[in-house]
Amino acid sequence: MACAKPLCQECATQWDGIWHCAKCLAAKRGASDVRSNFAGWLTLVIGSLILLYLSAQMMVWAGALLSGLF
Amino acid sequence: MIHAPLTTTSVLDESTDVISMVAAPWAAVVIATSIPYRFLQALFVDRLIEVGGEASHYGRLLGTTANFAIAAFVLSLWGRAVFARACRLAAARGSAPGREAWRVPAVAFTSYLFTGTLAELIFYATIFTGVGTLVAAIVGGLAIGTMELNERASISATIRLIARYGRELRVLSALTIVFACAMFISLINVAATFGLGMWLSDVFLGADLSRWKILFSGNNRRFVLATIAGAWIALEPFWIAANVMLVRKAGAAETGEDLKVWFEELRQS
Repeated sequence: MACAKPLCQECATQWDGIWHCAKCLAAKRGASDVRSNFAGWLTLVIGSLILLYLSAQMMVWAGALLSGLF
Repeated sequence: MIHAPLTTTSVLDESTDVISMVAAPWAAVVIATSIPYRFLQALFVDRLIEVGGEASHYGRLLGTTANFAIAAFVLSLWGRAVFARACRLAAARGSAPGREAWRVPAVAFTSYLFTGTLAELIFYATIFTGVGTLVAAIVGGLAIGTMELNERASISATIRLIARYGRELRVLSALTIVFACAMFISLINVAATFGLGMWLSDVFLGADLSRWKILFSGNNRRFVLATIAGAWIALEPFWIAANVMLVRKAGAAETGEDLKVWFEELRQS
């Protein structure tokens, strides 16, 4: 437990094998949500921008290759 | 509005019901936002044909057109997202949605921006192969169908969603083939509309159409490209509605919602 307060079995909740009180658990969940959500948004936006750039490049490349064949 | 088990015909039937509810004004949104992209694609192909085998020497010209086309593609994705949301709301309520169709959740649109662009990239990368184009069409369809199921911003989650609904490969492939056939019919209709307009102007207005007849003929490359773009624009709302309904029906079968609706309908009758 992060706060090191003594708690009975009913008041503690196990998460990833570690017992937490309600307050510590809420803080842990909140922190992990914010972190994972920010990372998710960042990767999604950067991934989309990369794909948009690649699509424009691929459009030119495929077009030039096709027109070279005919 | 989940009436029948998941088959190609049931998806098409129910998407027609949804389209009749949302066509005005939401189909106009998807058409208006698709026009710049499709016509820029047509312009790109036109320039490509013009430069021919020398295309590799015109990188800047083609690159600029491609960049504009991709910028217009983002706008078309937004139009598709609004229309898909309108279809989903109409299917859930059984009536035309109001202004809430504009409010596409940011996470849903960003996820769709990623998956929709991925489908476009697959299309351009595999344009030489028939199978690649089919895969791109299926991924693109599932991208718009699953758009609103994205609740968290995550690349892996959005890919997993597409993979989950991609299990309905039989229905998805059948839908893609149906729409490939519909494309030809739409092409004939768009070309015939121009012909009809010319004929009406000639008969009723007595206009001198000798110049227009040359412009609106199959010999004019730009007219042919614009007709292909127009045919796809006309078909786009149906394609989106079919994919939204497919995902909705597949999800309902998975969760047992279809059985609940069926039981409710039985109780009411």
